[in-house]
Amino acid sequence: MRWAGVALALLWSLGPILLVVGSSFKQARDIFATPPSLWFAPTLDNYRALWAGQPAFFHGLASSLVITIGATLLTLVVSCSAGYVYARHQGKLLQTSALMMLALRMLPPIIVIIPLFPAVNVLGLNDTHLLLVLLYAAFYVSIATWIMRAFIAALPRELEEAAEVDGAGMLRIITQVVLPLAVQGMVAVAIFVVVFAWNEFVFALVFTTTLAKTAPVSIAEMLSTVEGVQWGVVFAAATVQLVPVLAIVLLLQRYLVAGLTAGGVKE
Amino acid sequence: MMVAPALSLLLVFLLLPSIYVGWLSFQASTYGQHARFVGWANYATIFADPVFWRALGNTLVLVQVVVYGELLLALLLALLLAAPLRGKALIIALLLAPYAITETSAMAMWRYMLEPDVGLINQALVGIGLGQIDWVTQRWTALTVAGLIAVWHHLPFSFLIIYSAVTTVPRELMEAAEIDGARPWQRFRHVTLWVIMPALLVAVLFRTIFAVRLFSEIWLLTGGGPARLTEVLSVYLYRETFKYHEFGVASATGSIMLLLSLLVALPYLWRLYYRLVRGA
Repeated sequence: MRWAGVALALLWSLGPILLVVGSSFKQARDIFATPPSLWFAPTLDNYRALWAGQPAFFHGLASSLVITIGATLLTLVVSCSAGYVYARHQGKLLQTSALMMLALRMLPPIIVIIPLFPAVNVLGLNDTHLLLVLLYAAFYVSIATWIMRAFIAALPRELEEAAEVDGAGMLRIITQVVLPLAVQGMVAVAIFVVVFAWNEFVFALVFTTTLAKTAPVSIAEMLSTVEGVQWGVVFAAATVQLVPVLAIVLLLQRYLVAGLTAGGVKE
Repeated sequence: MMVAPALSLLLVFLLLPSIYVGWLSFQASTYGQHARFVGWANYATIFADPVFWRALGNTLVLVQVVVYGELLLALLLALLLAAPLRGKALIIALLLAPYAITETSAMAMWRYMLEPDVGLINQALVGIGLGQIDWVTQRWTALTVAGLIAVWHHLPFSFLIIYSAVTTVPRELMEAAEIDGARPWQRFRHVTLWVIMPALLVAVLFRTIFAVRLFSEIWLLTGGGPARLTEVLSVYLYRETFKYHEFGVASATGSIMLLLSLLVALPYLWRLYYRLVRGA
């Protein structure tokens, strides 16, 4: 009974993913075979077609990589310093601003497209990696700060006080005493931002055209072609795009739980 | 000082634009024109637009189905995995896989399975004699598919929140209930449910807020069509902005989405306010 339930749940979660990864190695005639073929002669044809026919996709992967790394680093720097302050200092104004951060997470980001789109054009930021880095960091800075706040608040103060007696400045205390002990929190923050920035669709769709176009947008374009979808090529692209981030989530999933618990998501 | 970078990111990219949207919802605004105050006219326009009401209706229905469907599945899954089980860490990791998938790939997967004639699901339907369904060209089947994909994609989130709550149910409490002769259903209803209630509420709150924003599932599946039958609020907003360039009307839509989200979030924020600021 229990194992049947587990098997069903695994089929539900993994079935669509395995279907796509598996089909990416199928020849066109096997992809829509009736009944679906479990055993087939694997081929790399779809990957060759992807490489030859979709240079924009690989350009998109490079863009996604740049944006993901940028957004993750920015979020980490900003949330570590803010999280430290919130964890170690009290005060009504400060706590209110911490709450404000969480409140801002509640508003639907899509509405900011309306004023940002013209503003971004005027500033010449349209289709730049920088813009998406800033936007993605802005969307995740509140949960990231709350995660860091919770992790840092759980550390004993004595080490910082000892460093202070030794004459260390605030920056040195944070980078050399606090952060090495809050690595778990930083990993949790990094996973959240990496998964989000690597996969985000709406803002990349609105704010990029060619130079900074990301991989998800490129896959969406392959799906909405008028000449009929080349499923094999789409599957190859989806597989290339999902493997690295899926590996990260599977390997580091325990940090996700820690992050969710700390991020003000749970009380 | 050191909170300044974090706060300014939020200020520039979220708070000020949102306030501006509120202001713009009372203006007539399009390309190449100065904004002009029009009072409630934009709201009057959308309230008179049957497409808006349908988008609002679609959004509310989708939100309810997605949030509660997902909650039920997440709860079942959490209870299923609460007992000791071999390879549990691996099973949980694998259940989280959809969280790592981009919306566009998720859409590709499900569209492929739902293709007419050749897709797995239609083949199965034909196989058991039900005949196939052209999923994406009719309003309710298309919305069902969008909801299904949303649930598939976000179940890991709800599951994690509820699962970590279920693991905090004190063993002694369950054993005491068992000794008192409580049946499994009674133990669930009178012990587990009470312990995990805060987590359930948080899951409902966050999933509701995120489901109100639902965009890609509809945009990539139907584009809001056929004949704008499957639009949701964010698709309606997107069209007003980029197709009709009616920024005032789009802003009025945005303000309504904002109010909806804040209304849902208010009790939670209120509680945090008491704990954090009043308690400090």
